[in-house]
Amino acid sequence: MSALIEMKVEEARPTGVRQGLTEEIETTDMALFVRTSDEAMNDWDRQRIVDALIRETYVDLDTAKEIAREVEDLIATSKIRMITAPLIRELVDTKLVERGLEQARKMHTRLGMPLYDVDQLILHPNKENANVPHGPEATNLTLAERIKKEYALLSVFSQEIADAHMRGDLHLHDLGFVDRPYCSGQSLEYIKRFGLSLPNSIAMAKPAKHPEVLLAHMVKFAAALQSHFAGAIGWDSVNLFFAPYLVGMSDRELEQLAQMMIFEFSQQAVARGGQAIFTDLNLYWEVPKHFEDVPAIGPKGEFTGKTYSEYMEESQRFAWALFNVYLEGDGSGRPFFFPKPLVHITEKFFQTPGHADFLDHICEVASEKGNTYFVFDRGETAKISECCRLSFKLEQTDLEDARQPWKMRYCALQNVTLNLPRIAYLSKGDDTQLFSKITEFVEMAVRAHLEKKLFIEKLLSLGEKGPLALLAMDRDGSPYLRMHRATFLIGMVGLNELVQIHTGQEMHQSRQAFKFGLKVIAHMKLLTEKFGQRYGMRFVLEQTPAESTAYRFAKLDLRYHSPKSGHIVKGDISRGEVYYTNSTYLNNSAVLNPIERVRQEGLFHPLIEGGALTHIWLGEARPSKSSLANFVIKTFRQSQNDQIAFSPEFTTCNLCNRTSRGLRTSCAYCGSKDVDGITRITGYFTKISSWNKGKIGELRNRYRNDAFLEQREEGIVLKAG
Amino acid sequence: MAEIKGFLETSFVDWPGKICSVLFLPHCNFRCPYCHNHPLVFSPEQYSSISLKDILNRIQPFKDWIDGVCLTGGEPTLHRDLPFLIEEIRRNGFMVKLDTNGSNPEMLEKLIEARLVDFVSMDVKAPLDPFSYRRSAGLPIDLNSILRSIDILKRGMVEYEFRMTVVPALHRKEDISTLANQLRSGRRLVLQNFNPENPLDPSFKEIPPYDPKVLKEMEREVQGMI
Amino acid sequence: MGSIKIFVKAKCPKCPAVKEIGMELKKEGIPVFHYDLDTIEGLAEASYYSVLSTPSIIIEDDEEREVISWRGVVPSLQEVKQVLFGANS
Repeated sequence: MSALIEMKVEEARPTGVRQGLTEEIETTDMALFVRTSDEAMNDWDRQRIVDALIRETYVDLDTAKEIAREVEDLIATSKIRMITAPLIRELVDTKLVERGLEQARKMHTRLGMPLYDVDQLILHPNKENANVPHGPEATNLTLAERIKKEYALLSVFSQEIADAHMRGDLHLHDLGFVDRPYCSGQSLEYIKRFGLSLPNSIAMAKPAKHPEVLLAHMVKFAAALQSHFAGAIGWDSVNLFFAPYLVGMSDRELEQLAQMMIFEFSQQAVARGGQAIFTDLNLYWEVPKHFEDVPAIGPKGEFTGKTYSEYMEESQRFAWALFNVYLEGDGSGRPFFFPKPLVHITEKFFQTPGHADFLDHICEVASEKGNTYFVFDRGETAKISECCRLSFKLEQTDLEDARQPWKMRYCALQNVTLNLPRIAYLSKGDDTQLFSKITEFVEMAVRAHLEKKLFIEKLLSLGEKGPLALLAMDRDGSPYLRMHRATFLIGMVGLNELVQIHTGQEMHQSRQAFKFGLKVIAHMKLLTEKFGQRYGMRFVLEQTPAESTAYRFAKLDLRYHSPKSGHIVKGDISRGEVYYTNSTYLNNSAVLNPIERVRQEGLFHPLIEGGALTHIWLGEARPSKSSLANFVIKTFRQSQNDQIAFSPEFTTCNLCNRTSRGLRTSCAYCGSKDVDGITRITGYFTKISSWNKGKIGELRNRYRNDAFLEQREEGIVLKAG
Repeated sequence: MAEIKGFLETSFVDWPGKICSVLFLPHCNFRCPYCHNHPLVFSPEQYSSISLKDILNRIQPFKDWIDGVCLTGGEPTLHRDLPFLIEEIRRNGFMVKLDTNGSNPEMLEKLIEARLVDFVSMDVKAPLDPFSYRRSAGLPIDLNSILRSIDILKRGMVEYEFRMTVVPALHRKEDISTLANQLRSGRRLVLQNFNPENPLDPSFKEIPPYDPKVLKEMEREVQGMI
Repeated sequence: MGSIKIFVKAKCPKCPAVKEIGMELKKEGIPVFHYDLDTIEGLAEASYYSVLSTPSIIIEDDEEREVISWRGVVPSLQEVKQVLFGANS
């Protein structure tokens, strides 16, 4: 009866259990059969209970025997006609509880799910992550996640941290993937140089000779990585690193390759749990400064004898071709959900010939389809973006690594998000209390990171024979996962509501409220630095995408901090569509023009090293591409904003397969009511029908900068600047 | 001074290449059946007026970002004091774009000669014959005014574009090329897709707009006619 | 005349020079506010003004609007005075 074995006990002969004779009964006399998950029928054997207790817990043999006998009595005297293994285990657990053996009971826990839940799961879609379609693979994923989540909370994390998660003080992300790091940034150079030779795989592939093969390697490697990381896989300078393979290709061939790349990644829904690989393509119009003089790797993994600055033309043509594909959209004109293109805007971008045309081109995509992410690397910083909005500023040692770009592999080990409104409820308006509570919460997050790190290190220590063989593989003198370069993310949800509870005003409502928000984040930032020094680890703040966390926290606070929370949570309580404002964002429904939003939200961004983003919801409007370009340039020059994306909304028809602008209840072309709305959820596009309730609440509230007619009806509100 | 009935702080839509604020002026002398700003035409009093001073105070802090102000409506040139309104906006350092249906060439010429506007976007409704124009504008229109406005713009004293909203029930492909032939303005003719949400004539709600791809193709075609 | 905001950090080679300017101006009765970027208040205020490097000086008018700033550079006392009192001082 080991912890994870599913068993069923069947009564072969109902009369076999004789009452009143329990004392004399020998185990074999109990005519019960135990069906185990290895598909064998075992006879009832009391000794198995003893074995399990000895193997799994610290109880002594006598106690174990005693418990086993008591349980057997119980079963024998009862009139239970059908006995299940989980029940036997629970019965054993009650005996442990009776003896005050709490820790032993915990160790003896059985993980699993009620029949009803499994039934629901198989029949109904998962709404926690809109990127998981519904299907047998997806339910497999969810079932596995459930058990690993329970395992994580019982066994990887201390009780204190697990309880904090359960209470909703904080959220440990991707607990269902506890045995993997969180997300990662990759270099194509690794597979260009070493080919595709993965531990445990059957055939080893030498470095690619042709661009199509390189693409195939990239896609396979991404799939392999997806099964070793919980979240996003980002690729750095994709267009530049492909460039040495693209010499002499015609525009048509390039576009073909670009199309293959985007379709390959967008249709990887055959991978893990039917979940598309969350892929980020980092693209540059210029040759990034740190790669200019780096020797280029070309076909067969050989150095071409040139440096990357000599491949600017191919690199640019490929970037252009990729955006041609994005502009077209998929087979029915919808935007591609993945891979996400992130274009880095730098000083050098503006010094590179053709940048104005390219900016117009990617802004046209932003206007038509919304795909483009504009990442601003101001001054001398270089960044790599990986997760939803996670980015890393390259430091000196990284820039040295850039000489050998295959070394540029990064990861974030875990993401822990704090429930900021919770802190405010608990502090009851007291400043000192508030700031010390924040310290307490950040400390908890740090402890959670230490615990996760310990666990991952244990798995990695098993090396190429262990579960994380891929991450332990060593092709260039260090393991694939470079632990010393790992980041530990601390995210936040509901800064706006914290400020609202504590000061009575939301952040967009007054300068003081806004400044108070800055103080909270400044405090958190200084804390991450302090703990970073103490533990020699890299803790950074991140804007958590918080697709479901913002909903979860709001729900939990409605339970624990009512009635106060009832006035604070955003959304519609009667529909159950509640949420907290994400991270450091201003209220989604606040009447703020995009300039204010980009400027104000951008003031937080320098404090949030892990990366930050401002969304500009476009609604139905189809903006002029050159106006967007104008806005992008001004954002780069006149704000501190880290990253922006323009998000249009679409309605796609399931009948005529056409896609129109705006969210509609019926198709604009054929009138069919069988339509799906599409827009950005947090960091990616999806169908709205797959969203959780909190997100739907937020969508209703998003201020789209086009609602002027409605506002006029109420008389427009002019706020003081 | 002309009352302002609507104010959008920032727009990426209304002035190609610029970030602008948009002011909506009431009343119109056309009755285009597909108009979706018709409450401004029929019952502007339901909207409270916004003072220009408030608007300028509001956008002043964004001066590094907002390039100019777009005046639209309704039909802005119906307001005789339009030049004063524009002067006040310009004094605050913003450029000005005018949206017009071209029915008031005198005002248009005056504004251009006084260099009060930086960009003019003129809506052209249909091929330039009285019958077509009447059908699209919903009223008999003095075509001479329209033709004069087109001439004024084509003198090139100011940046301009001709904008046509294409409605499948009103415009066949041939109509668009006829108009393009009459205008011969190349890339300055821009086609806009009809939006069936809340049109003046409710029956237009049922009209499916052109497929954007088809429209894009048409635009490419007519923009080639110089 | 408004006020002067000075942003410094503990370990910053050029900061003492700016602190000195602040002291001089304080003597002349100008409201001077010091912000240390290693403290919560200081870092929050610096973020609000997009001060990313130290030392920085920002001069504001009465309505807390930025008149001029020196970011990551040290102006001479003379320069600062010129802005504060006009060319004749």
